[in-house]
Amino acid sequence: MFALSLSRLLLQAFPKQPVAPRATAQCIRSLTTAQQEPLKKDDTPMKMENPYKPPPKTCVLCNVTIDFKNIQLLSQFISPHTGRIYGRHVTGLCGRKQKAITKAIKKARSMGFMSVTLKDPQFIKDPDICRVKHFE
Amino acid sequence: MPRYELCVILKAMQRPETAAALRRTVETLLERGAVVRALENLGDRRLPYKISKHDSRHTHGGYFSVDFHSSPGIVSELLNHLERDVDVLRPTVLKKDERLVAARCCEAQAQKAKRATSR
Repeated sequence: MFALSLSRLLLQAFPKQPVAPRATAQCIRSLTTAQQEPLKKDDTPMKMENPYKPPPKTCVLCNVTIDFKNIQLLSQFISPHTGRIYGRHVTGLCGRKQKAITKAIKKARSMGFMSVTLKDPQFIKDPDICRVKHFE
Repeated sequence: MPRYELCVILKAMQRPETAAALRRTVETLLERGAVVRALENLGDRRLPYKISKHDSRHTHGGYFSVDFHSSPGIVSELLNHLERDVDVLRPTVLKKDERLVAARCCEAQAQKAKRATSR
């Protein structure tokens, strides 16, 4: 009898597995408050500019000065066959630059810098900026 | 005084004659109280189209640009004088707009628009 009670006592005193405190209704509050740590200031979300912002839309002639004397630049926006100025849907320029190019081309033509009906032969091999479909 | 640019196409001539024509032009400008800032040679080129002037058809010419400051009243007199000059094929006087020299990019315009709408 004594031995039995002794062994029980021993078991209670030195349990093989750690006994977790049973979570009763009274205990829960104390549990949560005990585990909560004071919030660190570094962890709060801070306001910043959207890092995934898409780059601003620009046209080909952004930051490029348009001069009526620069006929090589102007010749890139005219047809090589007829010398006609391409429209906005072909050149892909923004409103301001398209207007500036048109004015510069007309000025150059009237002043005797650029041809009206054709593209200067030395500029025909220039790289294509406008998305034009040439029929062959 | 506003700033003007005179883009002139001279007949294809020998060097001393071209120099004389340019001298005449600049002297006319200075007589009428203009301040000539710069004189640039844009090269002797083949004209983009044949120009008929002073009873002859021309295919080649020398391009020159004169940058000057003057009062607005001179401009019409100057053009009149140049039209009568036999060596000059096509004179043009333009106003030089300082604001247009700085290229405005689309980004700057978009930001301006945003600020305007936010106000």
